[in-house]
Amino acid sequence: MVAGGVSLRRLLREPQPWDEAAFRPPGTAHVAVLTASGYDSGLEVTVLEGLRAIGADVRGANVLLKPNLVEFDPTTAINTEPRLIAAAVLAFRRLGAASVRVGEGPGHRRDVQDVVTRSGLAEALTGVEAPFVDLNAAAVRRVTLRSHYTDLGELWLPAPVLDADVVVSMPKMKTHHWAGVTLSLKNLFGTLPGRVYGWPKNILHWAGIEPSILDIGGAVRPSYAIIDGIVGMEGNGPISGDPIESGVLVFSNDPVAADSIGASLMGSDPERIPYITEAGRFLGQADRDRIEQRGEDPEGLIRSFAPPPLGAGIAAG
Amino acid sequence: MRRGQPSEAEPTALAVLALDDARARTWLAEHQREDGSFSIDVGPYVNDSATGLGALALGSGAERERALDYLESSRALRVESTAAIPIDESAIGWAWARGTASWVEPTARALWALRVGRPSSATIKDAVDLLRDRESVDGGWNYGNRVVLGEDLPPFAQTTAAALIGLLGLDPDLESRGLDTLSRLWRVESAGGLSLATALVAFRVHGRANEARAARTALDRLVDGTRLLDDGVALCWAALAMRPRSPETIG
Repeated sequence: MVAGGVSLRRLLREPQPWDEAAFRPPGTAHVAVLTASGYDSGLEVTVLEGLRAIGADVRGANVLLKPNLVEFDPTTAINTEPRLIAAAVLAFRRLGAASVRVGEGPGHRRDVQDVVTRSGLAEALTGVEAPFVDLNAAAVRRVTLRSHYTDLGELWLPAPVLDADVVVSMPKMKTHHWAGVTLSLKNLFGTLPGRVYGWPKNILHWAGIEPSILDIGGAVRPSYAIIDGIVGMEGNGPISGDPIESGVLVFSNDPVAADSIGASLMGSDPERIPYITEAGRFLGQADRDRIEQRGEDPEGLIRSFAPPPLGAGIAAG
Repeated sequence: MRRGQPSEAEPTALAVLALDDARARTWLAEHQREDGSFSIDVGPYVNDSATGLGALALGSGAERERALDYLESSRALRVESTAAIPIDESAIGWAWARGTASWVEPTARALWALRVGRPSSATIKDAVDLLRDRESVDGGWNYGNRVVLGEDLPPFAQTTAAALIGLLGLDPDLESRGLDTLSRLWRVESAGGLSLATALVAFRVHGRANEARAARTALDRLVDGTRLLDDGVALCWAALAMRPRSPETIG
């Protein structure tokens, strides 16, 4: 119920907690911010436009979409919208993907079937004939970490994640009361199986939320990010906040760049979010001068999300 | 966890309880650790949360006693109450991983095993105290806490059912509130096989025949229609919920 998080600031005294051979210095990233007024129509075209703008190449690839599906509450906007996920399935197929699956290991609820059904994801995926993979229940393999922000040393990762040619992180744009924001990197908590890490992925909270974000990011290495900011969540996220219509989608070929721009669109300074800054040292591009922006100018689309009541250095359910 | 994957302790233990399968029980006995636990190593952490179910499934004997000894000696880390997460510091409970803080489901599992296998254990009172402290504001249980950062956390069917199975006969008022909450929740969450199956087990062990009949009908329909997404744990809970003898007779 309560976890004593490891301080990222303390860990950052380490000069370079990653294996240099495993991570090339971040290069130029592409980010496209597109506007969308809702989820009802034309989303496939918008997603296709966004993916083309960042140069997404998935021809012949087996693609795994990793949305953010935590628990279901019809009064707010916790999860990546199923209609957007279905639109992404169609868009990746249009771009030549050999297969597109949707996988998630919900962090809070063990009953994945209930969340998938009541959120509308099951129906949306049936409509586009795409399979859902429960990452909490899938076969797992142990992977040695090449970054060392936590003391975990290795991760148990689901085979559908490891075997995918392309992993696409599809978070909801929302605040997070322990991590600041949930964007494409934090979303990767859901790739780790609850039957190994507990609920809500509690061992990761003990290993430190921010260090875990960095180590999981370094292990999963998503190829693309699509951030659902059409309706985001502000205030006491990731589950108890309020919906906010921000009307944007963020696409990137670099999860760090996606999160940097995504945080800016929420009215946050990404340089004040330690895990994004740190991820920019090895995992992706956080330097605005090296992020090529396409689509809309983010400056004109900023909505100030009400901040979360941050828990000081602790983590809990 | 799913057909074709390597066996794991949690679904295997549930399968033993549901089907009384001797080969599954033998597998469990062979995979019990020296310390009596059923565990997964996760870096420096040890997820030992399957130990309670393992103890139940082993049946009477030395192996179960070792598992119960482990449970009694491996309670969660004691943590302080804070403004963000106010708790009863004196209630300890059980965690998902050794040396970390307590949660509802692992505490409920340990309580179930101790209530059946070692009813004189002094740790039973602690488990009941913890579940009483974590009870959601309007009854039932969230997976974790009652309140976080000023928000009352809602109860869920699966965690409420888990707590009720553990608590059987130990706190009638708490159980009554939980059952009332579960009677409302299971219909809301009836799209989920794990929620339905655990709710049915809870209704059966608590003698709520009307709710059990309705939940059984819904579960039959869901299993036929979806096979519960082939989730091994959910299917084992469903088998346990549907077994002819009441799950109350486990032990």
